[in-house]
Amino acid sequence: MSVWSRFTNLLRPGRLDRDLEDEQRFHIEARAEDLEARGLSRPAALEQAARQFGNRLVLRESSRDVKLVTVLESLWRDLKLGVRVLRKDAAVSSAAIVSLGLTIGACTAAFSLIDALILRELPVRDPERLMYVIRTGVKKTGESGEATTFSYPVLARISQTASPQLEIFSMSLQSLRQAVLPDAGGVEEKLRAQFVSGNAFPVLGVTAAIGRVLTPSDDVTPGAHPVAVISHAFWRRRLGGRPDALGQWIQLEQRSYQIVGVAQAGFTGTQPGALTDIWVPNMMFQADSFTAPNWGWLQVWGRLAPGVTSDEAQPIVQTALMNFEAEPRAAEPAPKRQAAESAIAVRNAATGLSEVRQQFERPLLALAAIVGVVLLIACSNVANLLLARGAARTREMALRASIGAGRGRLIQQVLVESSVLTFAAAALGVAVAMLAVPLIVGMLTTNENPVYLEAQLDWRALMFVAALGGLTTMLFGLAPALRASAAAPGVATPLGDRLHTANTGVARPLVAIQIGFSLMILFVAGLLLRSFDRLLAVDLGFRPEHVVLLSVEARDRFEPAEAQTIGRQLLERVQSLPGVESASVSEWALFRGWSNSNDFGLPGGGLVQTRRVAVSPQFFRTMGTRLLDGREFEPTDSAAADPMPLIVNETFARRYLAGERAVGRRLTFTNRGQTVSYEIVGVAADTRDGSVRGEMRPYVFTLTGAAGGTVQIRSSADPRALAEHLRAELPRVHPSLRLVDVTLQSSLVGNTLLRERLLAVLSGFFAALGLALAAVGLYGVSSYAVVRRTREIGIRLILGAQPAALMRSVLGRVALAVAVGVVAGLAGGVYFARYVQTFLFEIEPASLSSLVLPVLGLLAVALIAAWSPARRATRVDPAAALRIE
Amino acid sequence: MARSDALQGALPMLVLKTLARRGPMHGYAITTHIETLSSDVLRVEEGSLYPALHRLEESRLVKARWAVTANNRRARVYEITPAGRRQLDAEEKRWHAVTLAVTDALERI
Repeated sequence: MSVWSRFTNLLRPGRLDRDLEDEQRFHIEARAEDLEARGLSRPAALEQAARQFGNRLVLRESSRDVKLVTVLESLWRDLKLGVRVLRKDAAVSSAAIVSLGLTIGACTAAFSLIDALILRELPVRDPERLMYVIRTGVKKTGESGEATTFSYPVLARISQTASPQLEIFSMSLQSLRQAVLPDAGGVEEKLRAQFVSGNAFPVLGVTAAIGRVLTPSDDVTPGAHPVAVISHAFWRRRLGGRPDALGQWIQLEQRSYQIVGVAQAGFTGTQPGALTDIWVPNMMFQADSFTAPNWGWLQVWGRLAPGVTSDEAQPIVQTALMNFEAEPRAAEPAPKRQAAESAIAVRNAATGLSEVRQQFERPLLALAAIVGVVLLIACSNVANLLLARGAARTREMALRASIGAGRGRLIQQVLVESSVLTFAAAALGVAVAMLAVPLIVGMLTTNENPVYLEAQLDWRALMFVAALGGLTTMLFGLAPALRASAAAPGVATPLGDRLHTANTGVARPLVAIQIGFSLMILFVAGLLLRSFDRLLAVDLGFRPEHVVLLSVEARDRFEPAEAQTIGRQLLERVQSLPGVESASVSEWALFRGWSNSNDFGLPGGGLVQTRRVAVSPQFFRTMGTRLLDGREFEPTDSAAADPMPLIVNETFARRYLAGERAVGRRLTFTNRGQTVSYEIVGVAADTRDGSVRGEMRPYVFTLTGAAGGTVQIRSSADPRALAEHLRAELPRVHPSLRLVDVTLQSSLVGNTLLRERLLAVLSGFFAALGLALAAVGLYGVSSYAVVRRTREIGIRLILGAQPAALMRSVLGRVALAVAVGVVAGLAGGVYFARYVQTFLFEIEPASLSSLVLPVLGLLAVALIAAWSPARRATRVDPAAALRIE
Repeated sequence: MARSDALQGALPMLVLKTLARRGPMHGYAITTHIETLSSDVLRVEEGSLYPALHRLEESRLVKARWAVTANNRRARVYEITPAGRRQLDAEEKRWHAVTLAVTDALERI
């Protein structure tokens, strides 16, 4: 019986039953015909034939048992045999299981992450019909980019004109906000909040688990709708999933909101990678924003009406926006910064709109490719191991064949063994993936931008693992099985082994492939690691080590004079804290990711756009930035003076004030019709902000007049102790000051390098894994080459061959395979390096330094792997070798 | 007409012998042939041939395939395998040895 029909019998007992019935019926009818021929009538003949036959049901049961039980029995026997064989060869088996398990785990983890971040659609009604609007174009500073945020007046205009083709709603960017929960006893915590338009939930199609969702009637009058909807996950995690959460009040920054509903389970907002805790209506945002045409804080989304395509929707939105911008505005005499040529794109939003995805999509895909290659190496490795073992068991297989086990049985046996191995590897893989996913997400997440991915091992990931397992079983199970079952019975005799000397023909190309792939990954990983290293060494223009950042917020609003006084007192207090070398305050910290740009008037006329930030005296000293000319701000400087003091950076001075000394020159700034003048009192060295790469931008620093801001402290003291001291001091400066955040300047800088760090670390890990796999494979093939030719080596030793020449001959072909692999790997590596070009920093893929190190590393490892078998070749005892016969 | 247990145990051997002698045949033909061989003395439940046949099939001593008869009916045809022949050989030798020993012992008594 063939292997196939056994399994189909197991799975389709119906067919088996029909066959058995057919066979019985044929017999009875034949018997009845014979009886008829002897004179019985047809009905009597049939009756007697049936009686003679016996109990048909019971007999069918017996036959069924025979056919099915045998299958199960043979499977069970094969299973036990397979486990025993694997245990005997424990080293080889565990090498195979571990290498395959690690790579299956890595593949599954990569797939889970990619699915959660990139592929999975939002759990809303009809996600394919959702769109979001973005503006693409070139800004005045020459940068091109995309903008996803728009202002409230723009939203209103687009909503009006785009309906009914596009039902417009808005979601704000998710942000962390201070909140106090009802059960927290006044202690603040951070919630992830989104402002949404009233129709957002209905248009998305998200319903409430309990209570209700926000509706258009919650979005009518500014400040008049203190209602909120919380997410299901937040409700369970923080409020215990109790129904009495409805109606409770949450204080979110300055306002209190009443919880009117909990969103359906599984909905966590529209930004994969960022789970929202609480949604509040647009109307509860800052009142100034509703009439400010340039205050961009909303994402504009829409649902296409049935029958409308995104191509049709795009011109509608574009026209609306262009008309809006063309209208003259009363309050803004000078044209504000507009995109020079901006295009509106309407993009499909089925998978949400996510910054995290934009950041990590390409690195994740690149890593997935690397992991895929490592899987290939692992598979070919295991194939090699099992090939070698299969060849060693040729005698046993041949013996079984000679006593009647058909080809199908042998194939079944080997497939079962391979399945046992694969299941063990898959189990290990699932465990690895479950550990790896949170680990990788932990590497991506920061305090400022926490990344949350619901990357569970869902059924899709499991199916993927199963498919991988099945594929690898077939890949390395069938080849040895076919080879073993092709063993003719003559092989069972002692001389028989010699008939199979040719069977390592497959092993050497496999070695070349493994070496090639491994070198490719090694090369790419090397590029990424060195690139990351270079990034870490970039001169930032300031020294982030030992700088602690503490964010201080003022709850009340102050008059400018009072604010300035409070700010000064705050600085003095901070500077007098124990352990403080120097301290300053600024509007926000460098590398925080926030920025402000304004147009300033130059002395000779003309407007230039430059970045600006407000800082206090001692800022540059605290940050460790050199002053090239002039001075820092002094406590005697005042933000109310005329002209106001200003410090510019080197790039500004060079670009706009070249040829003359910058200090003493005056700049003007016009805001809402009023012009103020600034006098440059100092020139600072360039500092990087927001990104380690890229060009330096012009920067101006104004004197801060605010009460709060970000405090920078340069100190070797423990940051937590500093935070506690500051927290204690704040009420003495003013009771409305609060410490809301503590972080390190070096963390903020590091956060901008997350992508590169992820790539460097993970690709390095996989390169090491691939290298280890290739080494194991090389070791196995070399060992086997020696073992197979032991007799031949023995004879040659007796005849006086030199050990070196012997090694060369036995391992020569393997060495050739390695060489081929190296060349192919280099070519492949250079070719694929172009795909990671965007992640590289100051590294040339095709340069000599990039190529030499990986090759040397690989050759060193190859040498070590082949060393032991090579030595064994020289130590062969000729007498023992000849005795094998 | 009693069912003879000793000859029940011989059924697989009889089947193998029939197939070896006469070539491939379906179950009913095997039945009628065994009847003639044992001259109607043993009248086993006819249907019990089939579990025995299936067991032989599972042990790879016979192989089977579906065929269409002259009357256009679907029948399962059995054929002895080389392993079956070797088994038959061995079994026959054993039977003879046993019979010889028993006869021998009976004569001495």
